[in-house]
Amino acid sequence: MSEDNSWADQWFKAQQQFVDAWSDMAKTGGGDNASQSELWAQSFDLWRQACEGKTQPDMELAMRKCMDMGKEYFAMAEQVSKGLTEGSNPVEAINQWLEQMKQSLQQFGAMPGFNGAGVSDFMKQWFAPNASWQEMVAGLTPMNQAMWQMPGMNTSVFNLGEAIDPLGKVLEAPGVGYFREPQEKQQKGLQLALEYQEANFKFNQAFLRVALESIQGFQSRLLGLDGDKIPKSLRELYDLWVEISEEHYAEFAMSEEYQALYGDMVNRLMIMRRHYGEIADDFLRAMNLPNTREIDTMQERLQQVRRENFALKKEIKEIKAMLVQMNTATSPTAKTVPAARAASTRKKATAKKTAARKATAAKKNVSKKAKVTRAGA
Amino acid sequence: MNNIPFRSDQVVEELVQFNENLSKGVKNLLDADEISAGVTPREEIYAEDKLKLYRYQPSTGVVQNKVPTLIVYALVNRPYMADIQENRSTIKGLLNTGQDVYLIDWGYPDRADKYLTLDDYINGYLDRCVDVIRERHGIDKINILGICQGGVFSLCYSTLHQDKVANLVTMVTPVDCKTPDNMLSHWVQKMDIDAIVDAMGNLPGEMLNWTFLNLKPFQLMGQKYVSMVDIISDEKNVKNFMRMEKWIFDSPDQAGEAFRQFIKDFFQQNKLVEGGLKIGEHAVDLKDLKIPVLNIYAEQDHLVPPAASKALKKLIGSKDYTELAFPGGHIGIYVSGKAQATVTPAISDWLKKRN
Repeated sequence: MSEDNSWADQWFKAQQQFVDAWSDMAKTGGGDNASQSELWAQSFDLWRQACEGKTQPDMELAMRKCMDMGKEYFAMAEQVSKGLTEGSNPVEAINQWLEQMKQSLQQFGAMPGFNGAGVSDFMKQWFAPNASWQEMVAGLTPMNQAMWQMPGMNTSVFNLGEAIDPLGKVLEAPGVGYFREPQEKQQKGLQLALEYQEANFKFNQAFLRVALESIQGFQSRLLGLDGDKIPKSLRELYDLWVEISEEHYAEFAMSEEYQALYGDMVNRLMIMRRHYGEIADDFLRAMNLPNTREIDTMQERLQQVRRENFALKKEIKEIKAMLVQMNTATSPTAKTVPAARAASTRKKATAKKTAARKATAAKKNVSKKAKVTRAGA
Repeated sequence: MNNIPFRSDQVVEELVQFNENLSKGVKNLLDADEISAGVTPREEIYAEDKLKLYRYQPSTGVVQNKVPTLIVYALVNRPYMADIQENRSTIKGLLNTGQDVYLIDWGYPDRADKYLTLDDYINGYLDRCVDVIRERHGIDKINILGICQGGVFSLCYSTLHQDKVANLVTMVTPVDCKTPDNMLSHWVQKMDIDAIVDAMGNLPGEMLNWTFLNLKPFQLMGQKYVSMVDIISDEKNVKNFMRMEKWIFDSPDQAGEAFRQFIKDFFQQNKLVEGGLKIGEHAVDLKDLKIPVLNIYAEQDHLVPPAASKALKKLIGSKDYTELAFPGGHIGIYVSGKAQATVTPAISDWLKKRN
């Protein structure tokens, strides 16, 4: 760990502030408007920044995930605790928290181009599949991410209606003249990008609906619990939330609806990517640079040659083994040997022959050298 | 329910404790060295393209089975799962119970490997590795132990090359890919695999990762890290956690053509069950598989449901079929203490009785 204690001091102060604030909130029930989980996250961010580059990348990643999840866990604690004042009913407090989450999700869902971003820290986990999907897509698609911010890309037909879709006009403009084909390809690319966006949007909308259902499910389950099953701590409440969310998610993930939505999203992404790959290929060809199509052709041919090469090698090996067996069969001490053992014997025989050949060559060299020496003498 | 027995001061206490654990644990994370995986000494005995064939150093003082066992791991993820740490190693367990263990590491395919087909993997790479081992030992037949997708490869290989395989062990192997509880299979049914391979060339490991994590997103992307805070104040736990973490995110890309055929033939068309499977020019019918088979599945497997593995029983022609249920999950079957105590000895016993 670093010897430099400046960040540690900062961290300690922030933590102290955090614990004090939480204790105040526990006493007064609610505290001020500042989010305590935000305070916690800020202090951890300080820590994270101070540690950057001082640890193994794998560890840094794990630490980041721990802290991100910690932040969400704290957000949950904060929201639950706000209603837990002295004398209040914890069930009502939790219900109130869940109702607030529902309302907040409904508001987010009504926003144009909703993709799960901006959802409150705790419910964010419901949109983790989409967030990680977006991250992955950003790494896999050739288009600059700024493309999604172009006018029309986020306000397209599936969202705000055709009337205000500025891309509609771009897509409908007829191609003319020498650049007709490239223009049409670009138009098709944008059309495919829009179709992917639409599929992604539908996928998110379905997630939103299931997330809301899961909150309802959580409320119902809590009401039905008794005895040992009642959560006795924040962690038990969180674990129960995970269990119920996972159940709702699994039911959704195994539905025909999910299969169709997910399939459509993946397919449209791939069709779009393939199209942009073709555009990139055209560009490379125009620049007299090798493109994917050409490299693919070469690789396919090469792979075929390698297969044929291996097949031939195998045949030669089998023929050699047959010869060894034939020789062995004709010898007076012949015995049947398994094929693999025969191959092993053959190997040894080859090694002996090679050694003999080397020895003969060495002898020849010696006699040559001797001759040279004699000639020199 | 009208009585949740916790108060806000109790919540604060929990959070303070959480905070304290995290603070202690971060020191361990900061101090930890690079995580290594794969602990048992081994020797590379054959290499071809990106493939490497390893032989593990036999345990001393143990009577060794004269028939060696080749472990065929999946193309997905990395084979060090079977040897992840000293006290949690399937490979070590097999060595300690007298098996002579070889393993194929398929490596990390890149664009140059895009045209590798299942035929190249099964009748090419795998067959050549088997031949290398047979020649080394001067025997006709070896044992094969296939893991997950590697189990599917091993089934196809053993059916086509029974003259080279003495006994087959399959672990968490998907055979019937259309059981109603198979989430992975459910997801790919409407996917245009041609579009994916044509667009991507090889299937990126990131996409596989996304898929696996999203089978249980709340546990695998959230709860796991909250629970980690409970254990990270112990240095040893940090290392164990990080080894698993490293493995989970260590996903090689999948060679395009092999991926295309695997998903279409096994997951979408379920050809091991429905029939019509061909690997290269060779038709594969499990009814032709007559060698002894030990089929091990995990009862809580969320990737390969037990029913997907158990389907093998009715499909093969072998009269010597044994099934072993492990009370755990897809990963626990290699890394849990329970697996070390039960699964590896059971494999060795089963093999010893037949070799």
